[in-house]
Amino acid sequence: MRKCYKCDKKAQVYLPQHRLAFCKDHYLEWFDIRVEKTIKEFKMFYKNSKILVAVSGGKDSLSLWNALAKLGYNVDGFYINLGIGDYSQKSKEFALKFAEKIGKTLHIVELKDEIATIPEMKTYDNRPACSICGTIKRYFMNKKAKELGYDIIATGHNLDDEAAVLFSNTLNWSIEYLKRQYPVLKEENGFIRKVKPLCKISEKESAMYAILSGIEYIEEECPYSVGATSIDYKLFLSQLEEKSPGTKLRFYSEFLRKMYPILQSYEEKVELGRCEICGEPSMNRICSYCSLKMKLQAKKEKTV
Amino acid sequence: MKITVEYRNNKIELEFEDSKVKAKDILKKLNLSRDYAFIVKNDEIVDLDEYITKSDKVKVINAISGGKF
Repeated sequence: MRKCYKCDKKAQVYLPQHRLAFCKDHYLEWFDIRVEKTIKEFKMFYKNSKILVAVSGGKDSLSLWNALAKLGYNVDGFYINLGIGDYSQKSKEFALKFAEKIGKTLHIVELKDEIATIPEMKTYDNRPACSICGTIKRYFMNKKAKELGYDIIATGHNLDDEAAVLFSNTLNWSIEYLKRQYPVLKEENGFIRKVKPLCKISEKESAMYAILSGIEYIEEECPYSVGATSIDYKLFLSQLEEKSPGTKLRFYSEFLRKMYPILQSYEEKVELGRCEICGEPSMNRICSYCSLKMKLQAKKEKTV
Repeated sequence: MKITVEYRNNKIELEFEDSKVKAKDILKKLNLSRDYAFIVKNDEIVDLDEYITKSDKVKVINAISGGKF
């Protein structure tokens, strides 16, 4: 039987990549400290920052919200109801229940009132649902956070998410994406500051934190994410991790330490302007959200 | 031995040839890796070498997930 590294109690959690075992209380403490250290390491935000956590109702975003609130940060939640049937209904309930439990505000955007639900948009657009969803989420996160007076958007991206994206970008040598793969995206050109405080926390560590904190979260996957390539990459990296614990953390951390600075010298000529319709930052005359909305409107009119 | 587990909001009955079942046998049966999955027995996360009996309340957590922001 493993014992807690900090006390003599029976350990519930063993972290092979750190060679540490913890009882429930010391694991929760370790997790909060690790999040705090990451925030400080990347100078993400400060105690007086106004933070908005993008909440999906899943383990990562709710664990992040919980940890930031416990650490004493000024943090509210932001939920987008994508209108994906039962999945969205349940995830909204989990998000609302959690907000009530910790006594924080949850701002909600209903896609059906703003543009259309994801399933409805999917019938008018040939792009994969995750691509449409990404455009919509990024747009509303940025716009609403600014309107509501927040300085920072924090997302629940964890180490497994970051390692999978890094792996994909490396396989394709997507220099433009690699250059921007950093846990802090600075506020500039109409974009609000975006941070990923769980970037050094694995997916399993995040789930164990949620379970041991008594956080109820949606366990089902979004029906549109079934068969996503990102899951294949995660499974592949997991095989390496099982054989050699610490591989994912090393892959990601060493990229940030050694490769990211080198990539910053790579010339990039992207001129950001403002969307002529909504005024949000855009590389084109009309931003991708507004062009999606126009396309939907045109197709709807055609079918009437 | 038959053991019923909760997995992603479904109750699943697993059958084992051996009469002694460890937490890791459950993960193996479900084809899940210890890198992203774990077992909660009677509301506590357990070591994968811990034995599971019929009367235990067992939940299997698979932490892997797809799309995000």
